[in-house]
Amino acid sequence: MASAEHHDDHADHGIAHVATMKTLVATGTTLLFLTLLTVLATRVDFGANINLAVAMVIAVTKATLVVLFFMHLRYDRLFHTVVFVSALCAASLFVGFTLMDTSQYQHTNIWDPSAPPPAPVGWRPTG
Amino acid sequence: MSASDHDGHGHDDHGHGDDHGHGHAGQSRFIQHHYDDAKHQFDSGKFGIWLFLAQEVLFFSALFVAYVLYRVHHPEIYSYAHKWLDVKYGAINTAVLIFSSLTAAWAVRAAQLGQKKLLIACLATTIVCACTFLGIKYIEYHHKWKEQILFGKFFDPCVSPGGEELITRKNKCEGTKSTVQFDEAAGKPTAGCFEISKLDLDPDRVGIQADCQVSEVKISKGADGKEVEGASRPITNRCKDELVELLEKTESGGKVGHVATHETPKPAEEAQGQQFPCWRPSFQPFVCLDATDADKRLHGQGSKPTAGILVEYGDELERHDVKINATCKERPVTPPPSDVHADKTNTPEEGVKAVQPLHELTTHEEHELEALGPPPEHTGMFLTIYFAMTGLHGVHVLVGILVFIWLLFRAIRGDFTSDYFGPVDFSALYWHIVDLIWIFLFPLLYLIH
Amino acid sequence: MATEESIPESLKTLPQAPVSEPDFLHITKGWKSWAFTLDHKRIGMMYLFGILFSLLLGGSFALLLRTELWAPGKTIVGPDTYNQFFTLHGAVMVFLVIIPGIPAALGNIIMPIQLGAPDVAFPRLNLASFYLWCSGALLLVLTIPFGGLDTGWTLYTPYSLETKTAVMVATSGVFLLGFSSIFTGLNFLVTIHKFRPQGMGWFQLPLNIWAIYGTAIMQVLATPVLGITVLLLTVERFAHIGIFDPTMGGDPVLFQHFFWFYSHPAVYIMIIPGMGVISELISVYARKPIFGYRFVAYSSLSLALLSFLVWGHHMFVSGQSRLANMVFSALTFTVGIPSAIKVFNWVATLYKGDIRLKTGMIYGLSFLLLFTIGGLTGLFLGILSVDVHLHDTYFVVAHFHYVMMGSTLVAFLGALHHWWPKFTGRMYNEAVGQLCGLGVFVGFNITFLPQFVMGARGMPRRYWDYDPQYQIFHQISTIGAYILGFSIFISVVSLIASFKYGKKAARNPWGGSSLEWSAPTPPTLYNFEKPPVVHELYNYDDLVEVAPDRWERLSDAPELQDAKKEAH
Repeated sequence: MASAEHHDDHADHGIAHVATMKTLVATGTTLLFLTLLTVLATRVDFGANINLAVAMVIAVTKATLVVLFFMHLRYDRLFHTVVFVSALCAASLFVGFTLMDTSQYQHTNIWDPSAPPPAPVGWRPTG
Repeated sequence: MSASDHDGHGHDDHGHGDDHGHGHAGQSRFIQHHYDDAKHQFDSGKFGIWLFLAQEVLFFSALFVAYVLYRVHHPEIYSYAHKWLDVKYGAINTAVLIFSSLTAAWAVRAAQLGQKKLLIACLATTIVCACTFLGIKYIEYHHKWKEQILFGKFFDPCVSPGGEELITRKNKCEGTKSTVQFDEAAGKPTAGCFEISKLDLDPDRVGIQADCQVSEVKISKGADGKEVEGASRPITNRCKDELVELLEKTESGGKVGHVATHETPKPAEEAQGQQFPCWRPSFQPFVCLDATDADKRLHGQGSKPTAGILVEYGDELERHDVKINATCKERPVTPPPSDVHADKTNTPEEGVKAVQPLHELTTHEEHELEALGPPPEHTGMFLTIYFAMTGLHGVHVLVGILVFIWLLFRAIRGDFTSDYFGPVDFSALYWHIVDLIWIFLFPLLYLIH
Repeated sequence: MATEESIPESLKTLPQAPVSEPDFLHITKGWKSWAFTLDHKRIGMMYLFGILFSLLLGGSFALLLRTELWAPGKTIVGPDTYNQFFTLHGAVMVFLVIIPGIPAALGNIIMPIQLGAPDVAFPRLNLASFYLWCSGALLLVLTIPFGGLDTGWTLYTPYSLETKTAVMVATSGVFLLGFSSIFTGLNFLVTIHKFRPQGMGWFQLPLNIWAIYGTAIMQVLATPVLGITVLLLTVERFAHIGIFDPTMGGDPVLFQHFFWFYSHPAVYIMIIPGMGVISELISVYARKPIFGYRFVAYSSLSLALLSFLVWGHHMFVSGQSRLANMVFSALTFTVGIPSAIKVFNWVATLYKGDIRLKTGMIYGLSFLLLFTIGGLTGLFLGILSVDVHLHDTYFVVAHFHYVMMGSTLVAFLGALHHWWPKFTGRMYNEAVGQLCGLGVFVGFNITFLPQFVMGARGMPRRYWDYDPQYQIFHQISTIGAYILGFSIFISVVSLIASFKYGKKAARNPWGGSSLEWSAPTPPTLYNFEKPPVVHELYNYDDLVEVAPDRWERLSDAPELQDAKKEAH
């Protein structure tokens, strides 16, 4: 049933929305540009935390573009967005609670040899 | 909400009670029987694939949990170890995957519009890009395998993150010959397999540093190098807690003392109020010392931990002509020539420097080592998380390739029409999720500053 | 409602209207037509037989371990073998019986018909789910000859990394079973969204379907975490990657977080379908609409969501931080609320109902009592200070058996009897069914009530040996276990015997008002001969018992319509 005709780019065959070439190419180009940006951003030292934040902001932007345009969520039923977001929420719950728990007993180490963490007191294994 | 997400669902006559592949007049033969029409089937399939993608997110979530936990609690491991990853390869892979995502989305459009040739081209391009991705992954993994930059207990790097070889090619921590490097000025030892054949030992102690897995320590005494009867047991390095207790006999046969390891227990009172400058407070290996005198040798303050284990002698031992052989694992049977000699002036004040370098470090090497120091404890954990995440992702890429090959076959056969393109759409969605996960893996693993 | 007298004699003696095509059991023959079937009913029946077989296997392990516990020290086996008994009992029951039981077997057979659909949304995926279940079950059973399993069904590290038993075989099996569960849930979600007939909006759905919907959400979101957890465990065992090993920087408590993030929603995957079934049973056998329909419907959803927030209550004494302990304990209290809402609503339904004590109802009433006990004791365990004393004692064992067995399995058996006539076309022996239902109830309580007492008095779980002071409790428990096992066994035998000895069932033997009762008995391939008409949910006014075990809907029978007009 291959048809050589090019339908109107926005033709909805009653089944699903058809993405436009413009959208696809624009999204792809933006994604590649953002990739370049995130690599270049590591060259500049804002401090470990800010660098991480910058990288994550760019990653989330890229992810949003992929989800909205490549995966058509922008043009799809709202319920599918609900499904995807619920999965993200469940995963966040998982990370959040576990981090809350382990933070209480794992002492975050700092790469600073002059200020080592204190020793625990008490029984030590004798092997 | 309306009566059904799909309005007007009813039952057509079911006179033909046969298989589900029976189509309705004028529509693709792939519309299944229990669906009303093509749109019903497509909508159901779309919902189904989104549910599948939701579970994929949760499938990866545990690894992201592990990543976050270790990064928050042990940032030094990440800062150190990510340098073994090549940003160049990661960036190329990201670009390749993004491009393949574009061609996948384009393939869906082509299928919807009935553009068969374009569909085939897009599917093929996606497959090629995916294979490129896996190819680059293979290059990265192969490099790590060669250099023993592996996960968990197999972490035994033969190059520093700066790229210097920590050992010569010949032995790779399996033989005995090695290059030991360290910075003279700061007295920081670095890695290397080594063998000390002869030591003039300090009365208090002697140190051995091994950065690979030392498998045995034998003590031999006597000018002729004859081994005395003494126990030797496998030991491991890196502040691990295996006990090695070696007994040494005098020529008359009596026991003269023991060689203590870092696990020699100290009375609890001594431990009170002391500073243990090791990376992990729960460990107090002797190597983490910056001794200035014998009393403080266990409790050095402010020193950087170093790699290796420390073998100590008791004070009452005579020490001339004591030979310590530390063999790396899988050492050949014949004793290799030793090329590392003990520093005669080894004193506790200098820390646990027991060997001298075999070659002069270049300025660059010096600076690299100055900056990096030895790997922090449990650096292997970063590699574990790296391999787990990229490995699982790679498996998904592989599955994606197989799915797209199947799609390509079907597209060539002409299965897809403007009212039946579900499989292309749904597979492309799966592919986008694979891309999405990589979009996060790349900065999280490769771009750690 | 028409009276006895107004039902025309002709209708009473009228045979069931013939069905135009053969039923699904007979439409095609031969093993291939079953092995490669796409019919949800056949797939469900295959699941059912697999699950019943697994029930037998898991139950055998239970009786073996209870026999061993008859006296302190060795009775029949040594401690290592005993460890294997309770591990395999747990693993087989949890993964092969209770989690798939109601959704995969009965859900597959009944849910699409109850919905008014011709099939599930993805029949081929359904068959794939079944084969995944079979492969997983095979692997799990293969652990027995390949070294067994002695880690406890919870597979805690570090022991599961060190033991020489066949952990990797078991975890591979669990991985496949997990995906079977995920795909089943996925299938049901799409089916419920996309295959409702005209007239069936969300609030005309039977509560059984609401329950399946809530379960499916959890199956899709929680089970993948089990998948990755057992995958990591397998890889760690095989390649020593170190993620759970402290000597390499890992954390064994992390395994527990991963494991329970799934396994707590899992217990709700087990119970919520049971609750859905009970809504149906109580409504039909009391001939009353469920009181508080919307509350019960919403409670299924809220349980699905809340279940993700409480997994830490399994880890109160595992080294979890005090902060996390307090947070999880507080959240655990909230998760009891939707369950309680359901129980109150069911009891309110019974009030002024026209109760018939069929087998299904006996199991339904058992559920009410046993689930109340199970749910309340769960709250006791959710209190931090109490749990420190009760954790890993028989109190916990009794609690989860009250909810998993006393509730879910009881609901499963009740549902099995309730819908048995529909999908087999045969009536089971009612007297045997009722007697066994009573036997299950009595045997169950004899088995597990003493366990609460001895748990509170300090008897630890998973122990092969114990102090003599506990012996009397163990002995009572073992006797109860035999009564319980025997009752279940007889009831299953009786059900299977009905294939040969049972009388033919009417289309609607219990007078249910949901759509499955208007389908033919047994249903045809696509479930309905003509498009189903959605009636008002749980409205029994329209149904009369024209003959024993045969009900008809007045609106379907023109002769009765006149009688109805006369009666008014």
